[in-house]
Amino acid sequence: MADIVMECKNLWKIYGKIVAVRDVSLEIKEGDIKLIFGPSGSGKSTLARCLAMLTTPTKGDVFLRGECLTRSGVNLNKARARIGFVFQHIWLFHHLTALGNVELGLRRVLKLPKKEARERAMQALREVKMEEWAHHYPAQLSGGQQQRVGIARALAKNPDITLLDEPTSALDPELTGEVIDTLRDLAKKGTTMLIISHEMPFAREVADEMIFFDEGTIVERGLPELFFTNPSSDRARRFMARLIKRTRRE
Amino acid sequence: MDFLVKYLPLILEGFLTTVQVTLFGVLMGLGLGILLAIGDLYGGKTISTIIKFYVEFFRGSPIIIQLFIFYFSIPTLLNMLIDPITVGFIVFGLNSAAYQKGYIKGAMESVYEDQMTAALSIGLSRVQAIMYVVLPQALRIVIPPWGNEFCSLTKSTAALLLIRIRDLTSAGVSIASWTWRVLETYSFIALIYLLWISIMMKILDILYNKVKIPGIEITA
Repeated sequence: MADIVMECKNLWKIYGKIVAVRDVSLEIKEGDIKLIFGPSGSGKSTLARCLAMLTTPTKGDVFLRGECLTRSGVNLNKARARIGFVFQHIWLFHHLTALGNVELGLRRVLKLPKKEARERAMQALREVKMEEWAHHYPAQLSGGQQQRVGIARALAKNPDITLLDEPTSALDPELTGEVIDTLRDLAKKGTTMLIISHEMPFAREVADEMIFFDEGTIVERGLPELFFTNPSSDRARRFMARLIKRTRRE
Repeated sequence: MDFLVKYLPLILEGFLTTVQVTLFGVLMGLGLGILLAIGDLYGGKTISTIIKFYVEFFRGSPIIIQLFIFYFSIPTLLNMLIDPITVGFIVFGLNSAAYQKGYIKGAMESVYEDQMTAALSIGLSRVQAIMYVVLPQALRIVIPPWGNEFCSLTKSTAALLLIRIRDLTSAGVSIASWTWRVLETYSFIALIYLLWISIMMKILDILYNKVKIPGIEITA
């Protein structure tokens, strides 16, 4: 039985009258790849942000390797350093080169000496095949290249888990391909990931478990095959049908 | 304008005073302005209100009045004599900070949210995020308005003559009253201001282009 890396118990996030996340419990084990999908506005991103403690959950607990992050007095900066996060809209630091983006956390969070930080950052860029572009600024890169740098930035610190919030949905289909290739490489290496995505062929290939999310909560979960053959809930069935149709069109 | 030659040392001395007060004012204003902007953004309600009063006082009253208040009240209140030039340094620094705080805060807000979230996500603390991510970008944006601030501050230092400081304008006033060559004297003085400001604007322009982030045009 593999170790549980990240876990949330009865997690709620409420904004005023809007319930974004409703009583979600989830555990992710070492080497797991979980894939969350569902309609937009269903609270997937909010869930990911709560897990990374980028927003504070209203109720419930988040654990990283058994340590409760929702308790008061926890050093969240330290915890976040052990969680990789890849944003839908990428959000690289505009004023730093690709290398600078990856290096910043290594230098200032892990406090590595300059030379070592540089080597590790280059290594991370190599893994996403962006080594050649190390000295380019974000605005000089294509969206797909930027997102690969975003992935390198998240992974350079060897986080316990990496959360990816729709890493390809801001990219056109051609650029999506190169990011998906990168993610596939990571999956092969056994990286623990929680991915929010609607790339169904990719999901079927790499996910250990797929989670259908709607109205702030988990509607159905299971092996990818379940969703591709016979989802049990109506909502999931309808959503899958639409997604598969769209994928064929592309 | 030969008559001016013999007054050149006086003009030069006045010019150097003006330059000193201006440079000190904008630099102190920059440092304090950054602190005020950060305080206003993160300090909570009380600090934010105090900063608001501070800014309103220095933006909402004539700089001459501010000079008088400091020049006459400090010796009375603290029971100590104070050098007029020190008053000049302090007042122009505090005044410039009030204006610069607005520019800096605006620039910080424009880069703030996404970049802050991304910075936190890699494990930086808030302070580190401001230092390494938000401020480096905000300060680039602030360069053009900073040029305006420099320009207007330089000219308002003319008010220093009212607390008996020999700045460039005050040198001009003396020379004009001794020689009765009013037009020539003031034109010459104005030319010096113009040259000095133009040179500084050019330097800021070069700086702006040098630190520009490759690939994007920064708009203020």
